[in-house]
Amino acid sequence: MRRRARRRRRAGGRVIPDAIAPGALLEALAETVVGQRETLEALLHATIAGGHVALEGPPGLAKTLACRALAAALGGTFKRVQFTPDLLPSDIVGTRVFDQRTGEFATVLGPIFANVLLADEINRAPAKVQSALLEGMQERQVTIGPRTHPLPDPFLVTATMNPLDSDGTYALPLAQMDRFLVKVLLSYPSPDEELAILARFGGEPPHLPENVASMDDVVRWRSQARSIFIDERVARYAVALVAASRAPHDYLERGASPRATLALAAMARARALCAGRTFVLPDDVRASAPAVLRHRLALNYRAIAEGVEAERIVAGLVASVPVP
Amino acid sequence: MALGTAAAQQLATLHVRSLAASADRTTARAGEEFHITMNVRLDEPVAALDNVTLPDLSGFDVSGDERRCTASPRGSACSETLTLAATIPGDRTIGPWTLDAVDARTHRATRFSSNSVVVHVLGPSPLESMGALLRNLGFAAVAAVVLIGLAGLALWAFVRALPRRKPAFAPAAPEPEVPEPPRADDPSLRELVAALSREPTRRHALALRAALRRRIGALEHETYDDLVARRALGNGEADGFRAVERAAFCEDERVADAAREAVSYLTR
Repeated sequence: MRRRARRRRRAGGRVIPDAIAPGALLEALAETVVGQRETLEALLHATIAGGHVALEGPPGLAKTLACRALAAALGGTFKRVQFTPDLLPSDIVGTRVFDQRTGEFATVLGPIFANVLLADEINRAPAKVQSALLEGMQERQVTIGPRTHPLPDPFLVTATMNPLDSDGTYALPLAQMDRFLVKVLLSYPSPDEELAILARFGGEPPHLPENVASMDDVVRWRSQARSIFIDERVARYAVALVAASRAPHDYLERGASPRATLALAAMARARALCAGRTFVLPDDVRASAPAVLRHRLALNYRAIAEGVEAERIVAGLVASVPVP
Repeated sequence: MALGTAAAQQLATLHVRSLAASADRTTARAGEEFHITMNVRLDEPVAALDNVTLPDLSGFDVSGDERRCTASPRGSACSETLTLAATIPGDRTIGPWTLDAVDARTHRATRFSSNSVVVHVLGPSPLESMGALLRNLGFAAVAAVVLIGLAGLALWAFVRALPRRKPAFAPAAPEPEVPEPPRADDPSLRELVAALSREPTRRHALALRAALRRRIGALEHETYDDLVARRALGNGEADGFRAVERAAFCEDERVADAAREAVSYLTR
């Protein structure tokens, strides 16, 4: 009852039913972030699918704003860590400190203990710090000293990366990239969108949507998404798309793992749920494939030498697999 | 690769499906003619391609350059075939071809590049080369060269015997022209709709879906969204096709309802 009242109040008098649809969250995000529809959809789908999101794009494309808007809209706890070369693992997961008053060690939990963790410029920290995220991202728990602490549920890591400045960056190992359910590429806005950005943010700090949905809603969406039906033909299509990346290829050293197949199915289910369907269509799988596959491909030296991008390879793979 | 704003103002907006280069031979003798072909597939119908840049062809004599574009409502397939003869032996890399256009997906000026093609150019004639060597060098040196040559030949034969990798987006052979979709009315379509009406099962829905896809000329990798995006579906067809799509992939207990809905759309 209190939650419903809070929602009424914070939505400016707009009546929001208890069972909020994922589309309402998407529209709320779109009211803050101009354009970047694909990014917002990927964030929403990954939230529903229970995975982590890597965002890559040049500076100034609202990567951080999109993550902040998502956290604010979900009303959960939000922490932000600016990754720098001198960051330590304990700065993320927490540490044990000696309390002189009690004469005992006390555990101080790090910023990873949040519903939404924004790892800003994740590739600016060295490998040991990036690895500190691994246990949390995969196992949803963190070990500090002798004790293992479960992370809040839902737990979503959104990491941003800037592909332009390679000085002072540490490329994320493939094992860690594989932990991200999707990688979203951001591109520059169209002139119309840029005009809208001028109109919306002309000197004012961006208005973040607050408590549009709750963490309970996210848990409910996840449960609904898990029950979305996937026909065997569509499942085979998802498997074939991932398997295509493992076939001998001029530009690939290795393809995607079965974790990619699971991610593809989860994203397709989330997309179907957001579209109001109870079953997955081949379109759901196909539309999710680039974001799921692009960061899981190990390009060989020839691809790097010839400047072939993963995006182009993924497009070729998708075009090579017949739709069921 | 993104291009500058000034360049973008003079470029056509294109949806480039593929840009690939291939050679009809990977080994040729110096002076011997061979062909190298660049194929572009676009979603837009175009009569000719502008802003295409040829690869560096130094070390080759160019004796032919044939360009062709085949346009249809579904897009176009353009190709350029060069007839070349190498002048210098050795492994020669040709390419890539580049095409400057505004990418219809990102609305950014983009330089699309094809793959490169490697051609192994042999000397003019093995007998002539051997004779020259015998005249100019001592027997021992020639014997050493022959031995190294034989080892190289064996290695080359071994490498040739290995299974060849085929890139996903760079076909080895020139691509065929885009076929016109079979838009003629399919007499079996009405029978399939009637069959789905009589027996609203997934099997009949899948058969009707396959027939509909054939009728509108859907490519193997094209989904429903692709067909809508390239306006392959006419007025009223989109709703019917979507309903058939639902009947083909929804849960078992909903197939009958979805099939009846599809029939109602398709019989209007």
